[in-house]
Amino acid sequence: MTLRERGDRIARVGAVVTAAALLGLVGVYVRALVYTPVEAAQGAAQKIFYVHVPSAWACLMAFVVTGLLSILYLWLKDRRIDLAAAASAEVGLAFATIMLTTGPIWGKPIWGTWWTWDARLTSTLFLFLLFVGYIVLRGVLTDPGVRGRFSAVIGIMALFLVPFIHLTVYLFRTLHPAPIILKPSRPSLPGDMLATLLLSVGVFTVLYLGFVMLRYALGLLREAREEELADAS
Amino acid sequence: MGPTLRAAWHIALKDVAIEWRTKTAFASGLVFAVLVLAVLFFSRDPTTVSSTDIAPGALWVTFTFAAMLGLNRAFLIEREQRALDGILLTPTPPVAIFWGKFAANLAFVGTIEAISLPLFVLFYDVPIWVRFGELVLVIAMATIAFVAVGTLLSAMAVRTRYAELMLPLLLLPFLVPPLVGGVQLTARLLEGRPLSDLSGWLKLIAGFDVAFVTLAALLFQVVLDE
Amino acid sequence: MNGAVTAAAADTVLSASGVTRRFAYRTVLAGVSLSLRRGEVLLLVGPNGAGKTTLLRVLAGLLRPAKGHVERRGAIGMVAHDAMLYPALTARENLRFFARLHGIADRERVAAALEHVGLSRRADDRVGTFSRGMLQRVAIARALIHEPDLLLFDEPLSGLDAAASRTLVELLAGFRERGTAMIIVSHEMERLGRVATHMARLAAGRLGPVESLAGRDPAAVFAELMREDA
Repeated sequence: MTLRERGDRIARVGAVVTAAALLGLVGVYVRALVYTPVEAAQGAAQKIFYVHVPSAWACLMAFVVTGLLSILYLWLKDRRIDLAAAASAEVGLAFATIMLTTGPIWGKPIWGTWWTWDARLTSTLFLFLLFVGYIVLRGVLTDPGVRGRFSAVIGIMALFLVPFIHLTVYLFRTLHPAPIILKPSRPSLPGDMLATLLLSVGVFTVLYLGFVMLRYALGLLREAREEELADAS
Repeated sequence: MGPTLRAAWHIALKDVAIEWRTKTAFASGLVFAVLVLAVLFFSRDPTTVSSTDIAPGALWVTFTFAAMLGLNRAFLIEREQRALDGILLTPTPPVAIFWGKFAANLAFVGTIEAISLPLFVLFYDVPIWVRFGELVLVIAMATIAFVAVGTLLSAMAVRTRYAELMLPLLLLPFLVPPLVGGVQLTARLLEGRPLSDLSGWLKLIAGFDVAFVTLAALLFQVVLDE
Repeated sequence: MNGAVTAAAADTVLSASGVTRRFAYRTVLAGVSLSLRRGEVLLLVGPNGAGKTTLLRVLAGLLRPAKGHVERRGAIGMVAHDAMLYPALTARENLRFFARLHGIADRERVAAALEHVGLSRRADDRVGTFSRGMLQRVAIARALIHEPDLLLFDEPLSGLDAAASRTLVELLAGFRERGTAMIIVSHEMERLGRVATHMARLAAGRLGPVESLAGRDPAAVFAELMREDA
């Protein structure tokens, strides 16, 4: 199968998966807003949680996938692995953005402040910055070989960095205790809320897969076009 | 000495010789350090914020930015006349180039830090002698982290057209753990607390050093390839 | 010497087969094969952008081919368009550095190399102050310091005036006398024709037949290579 044919096929499958996920997302919204009870202490604002937490999950998944694919790429040197890693990074950036914007929107009415330097938000902020660096780097490199190798280096380094950032914030916190924060992702969620959350996480995972497929297909098609252009000249 | 160490030594010496002769990056780094220290001193309300409060942060921001000024230089000299190709045509093991550059960068950043430190004491009036030895240890450990990652990333950054932009963009997230650790440890040490109180941060920086010096050395060959 | 690799002879210094290299989606080298023996001097001609510089870099080991294989027997020295030197250091310091990386600590050898290229008087001047011709000579000294079996030259005469060119051609002729194998990329066929033993043309990433220059007029061989390609 040529690059172009494969790209077209994956784009079609990816479109179907994304469409299914978006339908699922509608279902999640309906369930969250209409059928799930309102949380006592936080009120309606708490509903953002059903988008915020799964976004963080998808972002983390994207990051780990990019890191692992980076290692795989340096080993196998197949450019499709590089394209998949890049696709995951861009999708991860999108989910990181969602997590970082829903966080403050949720936080303001509940904690009284837009931003708090807790471990999760801070780690995601740096993940966001790492993704941006990764994508900017790819943008300034023209040769696909160099681009793949340099991206892989960042991807692998980032994989090792994030646990350290998490640890840094944790240490910072224990020395500087923050005002009491509600920790809604602790297991003690009433059944209905837990079910909605899990449903949302599932839908977001499928959404991640669909987006990555579409972005990967786009990458393949771009490669195909670059090759066609180069052959013609 | 093994061939790797020998080659790394010669490369490091050569870099130091070149920097010593031109002194451009060194002079800029030093002027920059003084400026940052001074600006941060003045950018506060002196009636509510004492100089000792902001001192640790000011010191580490100074170190970080002065270091970044110098890191690109190490690989730019190799690109001027493609001297790096000359090195690659010898039997030098590629990882020796990393260690040589790492050592030279450490010398460069270390020298700037050594000169900034007395200025820091002068401007901010901090009791540095209380835990001086421990402070030097902390600075050394965090600097190793900066320089290891910075050496690897500058080797990449100089291959793009936007080296001065790409290096900070890529490097800064990686500096967060050693930087925060450095600031926290410096603050506590200046208060006179013993190092044993702060084992968490020390272990963080030590672990970071081990992980990232190893990673940088392993990944360097990937960055050298064309 | 031939363009395809059969059994490698005992005095082969270099053999490459099926070398393919791409950059930014373009194929720069498409299946290049050649082999070189001691004492042979190959003059490589061809249009700009044909891949000659890339081929030299692959042969030197600075680039890895996407496909194909290069086998080097013996040490290689290279003189390219960039001098591969540090402008802030003197000629002597530059040479000493590269000599050290080859495991050569003997200062006499550095002095001898500088003598050989006629730069003894300027040995302690910073290379950044040198003219192109002098830079070229320091670069040659650097390439020679470890007494390589094969020397690669990429447009050695470019940017040189007539006198400097003559000096350089004399140097190259001297290397040939000593039996050093060489590959010279150049379009200055008139000056270098008498130094070379063989000639070949690289165009659009493909290497044409390698012609021996024994007892033939280089210009005639050149014309023939141009015709064959058409």
